[in-house]
Amino acid sequence: MKIARKTFRVEVPVVAMGDIAFNLLIFFVILARAQDDSHLKWQPATTPRVDPARYARATIVVDVNNRLYLNGQETGIADLASRVSQLLGDAAPGDRTVMLKIHRETTAQRFEPIIEAVSQAGGELVHILQEERKP
Amino acid sequence: MRLARRTNLLIEPPAAATGDIAFNLLVFFLVCASTQPDSGRRQNIPASEPKQQPSQQSQNIEVYVTRTTAAIDGRPYRNLEPFQARLAQLLAAKPRPEDKVVVVKSSKDTSYAQWIEVTGRIEAAGGTITLQLEEERTVASP
Repeated sequence: MKIARKTFRVEVPVVAMGDIAFNLLIFFVILARAQDDSHLKWQPATTPRVDPARYARATIVVDVNNRLYLNGQETGIADLASRVSQLLGDAAPGDRTVMLKIHRETTAQRFEPIIEAVSQAGGELVHILQEERKP
Repeated sequence: MRLARRTNLLIEPPAAATGDIAFNLLVFFLVCASTQPDSGRRQNIPASEPKQQPSQQSQNIEVYVTRTTAAIDGRPYRNLEPFQARLAQLLAAKPRPEDKVVVVKSSKDTSYAQWIEVTGRIEAAGGTITLQLEEERTVASP
């Protein structure tokens, strides 16, 4: 006697796909936020002409409270050069851009050592500025 | 004659697409957040050396920036138009690129906005900027 084999239909449950995608999205948003500096408050200095800045390997911010941040993380001037150097790695010239977002009222005592540190690390400086509005 | 009875149907908004709408809104705000205007000015500043050659130092133009003025070789300018014109004149007399290096010193209270304005003028006049920082030394008292 031949026994008929019972076959089961196996289907991948797709009901929860939307929720999974949504949670993944939230996860990546939070991850991206860790290196974001959009929450820092600073006012850019003005200049007559600005050029669009390309992708930067590092972003340095000096906020209204004179605090120094590298890629959104507060840091000190003492280890800035080594940390920037680490971030830049062996990147080729032209791909070593470091963005400087310095609050307009920051004094030379604060910002000059930062410029010096980026320069020592071999970074290519881009000052983030605001274009002057013509009357 | 009897009028037809009006049927009161319960009308519910379609909720099937709510998830898609939320997702699209999220993508929209993400795109908005990621297009912050990041524009500015590129600046090449060579790493400062601990000591400059005395002969070379004397050949380079020195600009001293304060909170309100910029001085070329000791002569202060409050208005930056004549400052740029004078600098362009001085740099035009220097044919070698290494002589077009302008040594920028700043007083401690110089604001970043003023420094950006002055260095922008130096670059517009054809100069290359190098920084000269004041050294701070800690002397241990006995």
